[in-house]
Amino acid sequence: MNKKIIYSLVGLALVFFIGSLIIFLKSSGDSKKKEPGVLAEDKSHEEVKEQAFLKIKVFFLTEESRLMRPVHYEIEDLPIRQDLYRNFIDLLIKGEENYISPVPEGVKLRSVYFIERSQLLVLDFSDELISEFPGGTTGELEFIYFFVDNICYNFKEVKMVKFLISGNEYQELAGHIDMENPFYPDYSYIKDTME
Amino acid sequence: MALDKKTKNKNMKNKLTLVALFMFIFLIPFALLSLSVHINIRSFDHEGYTRIVFEGDRGFEFHVGQSRTELEIKLKERANLQEKITSFTRSILLDRVVHQVDKNNSVLKVHLKSRFKIKRHFVLEKPFRVVFDLVKSEREEADAEPEKVPINTNLNEDKPQESVEPKTEGNTITDTDNDNEQDSEEDQPSSKKPESIETICIDPGHGGSDLGAVGKSKTMEKDITLKVSKKLKQLIVSRLGLRVITTREKDTEVSLNSRVSIANNQKAQIFISIHVNSSFRKSARGSETFYVSLKATDQEALLLSQKENKSFEEIDKITEDDELKMILWDMAQNEYIKESSKLASYIQDELNILLHTTNRGVKQAPFRVLMRAAMPAVLVEIAFLSNSYEEQKLRDDAFLDQVASAIYTGISKYIYYHNTAFGYK
Repeated sequence: MNKKIIYSLVGLALVFFIGSLIIFLKSSGDSKKKEPGVLAEDKSHEEVKEQAFLKIKVFFLTEESRLMRPVHYEIEDLPIRQDLYRNFIDLLIKGEENYISPVPEGVKLRSVYFIERSQLLVLDFSDELISEFPGGTTGELEFIYFFVDNICYNFKEVKMVKFLISGNEYQELAGHIDMENPFYPDYSYIKDTME
Repeated sequence: MALDKKTKNKNMKNKLTLVALFMFIFLIPFALLSLSVHINIRSFDHEGYTRIVFEGDRGFEFHVGQSRTELEIKLKERANLQEKITSFTRSILLDRVVHQVDKNNSVLKVHLKSRFKIKRHFVLEKPFRVVFDLVKSEREEADAEPEKVPINTNLNEDKPQESVEPKTEGNTITDTDNDNEQDSEEDQPSSKKPESIETICIDPGHGGSDLGAVGKSKTMEKDITLKVSKKLKQLIVSRLGLRVITTREKDTEVSLNSRVSIANNQKAQIFISIHVNSSFRKSARGSETFYVSLKATDQEALLLSQKENKSFEEIDKITEDDELKMILWDMAQNEYIKESSKLASYIQDELNILLHTTNRGVKQAPFRVLMRAAMPAVLVEIAFLSNSYEEQKLRDDAFLDQVASAIYTGISKYIYYHNTAFGYK
């Protein structure tokens, strides 16, 4: 009889312990951080992680459509996220043959940093972004969302992107879109081509 | 020997029992803590109102009650706050928040320094926040009868962003969910009756050393925008007899902030910014009309999160700047989104009909020149200078006449709608 009581108590305590732990973790809102290089909702990335490569999808502009089209890449899954972001952005700046680049000639990425708490990625571009930018609202939007959508689509930990030019905050790029505030992705630019 | 074994087993069982009981007792407070919602309170004085934010670590149901100098938020569950009493010594309007809790309920009593009204009240998600914008009450009739105003808010935890429907008599409670984009913005009622339209501000984009976009044939955006603006002004003045102001009359450089300041200072009721488009895609063509998209509250959340990372000394240092920024982010255009969307639609419809250009439709983007406009405000992109065919059209004065006429008709239709809707003749 005693045995039964003891086993029941131990069992109950264990169940309670596990249950409390689950509730505590859930309610404290500390959603588990994703492992570096593993992208949410895409099992293929988990497989790739073992090989230290990351499958990514970069959306490029085309003459045929207003929507950006995806091109698949595999990039090295670097342990330091900063380096990974830098490589990814360099890939965007480099562009892809047969696709249109919304990045003016000579523009370079000076630095990139991630503010984890705000889930904000800050991109600091060289002066050419201002001096060589051809203008136009659509041109500005193409440039902005080429970066914002591609980054946020491939790196789920990034929720918004802010642009700096030579380390400075600019009010606007070419007289239209407000650049002081960070940008959230607008997937209407890639919506129909997302797989 | 066997007895020894038995004794050992018994000891072991006793130990296990003790461990189990210890775990059981030890984990009870954890379990209770995890079941209750953790709430942080913060407040800021803005120009004309005070904002108080209740941020939960998850969504929660609440009811709001209001008396003369007290705002009461009742939760049907236990809430955890860092302090039982949160004081706001620096606030113009807020005095303190007192947290009362019993077995299953919590009450957050916000004591105010004077009588007040709820200017705005909305719920945001990620993280879950209940936001109240409070203003000092100056209405004697509101003060005469203290009233308890219940606002039932059954928030589904899975959908904390859904807006509630607070409706009161004698109090204006405008409920908005600023996180949502077009739909909620369009549903957002303006807090005051719009004025009758007497003044229109036309803003010819770019100017001076700011050429704007430049076409292959060296057509400059700044010249086209000025031409169309002058034509449009002429049509409005001669046909509608309204007052028209322009942000520039000649080829001069005017900052974006100055442009909107001119419109605000002159108390214009419509702001039209004229532009010519350009794209990296040479095939892009057609006209577009934009109105602003705002993410102010998210920016605020960002700012707050950045602020929370700082030490107290740093907070003191950055407060003034940041609060200034927050005022700037509290963009005037927020109140006019619905009207701006209507105006944009009327103009775009006319551009589609008259110009037979490709319809790229009405769109939203965070235009700096529109953000702080305290009136319905749109930005018209006539056509693409980056497209050779459209550049040639833009060089044709007759085409520019058509453009001005289309925009004029769109504005006229909007004015007719506005006057009918708000009872002006």
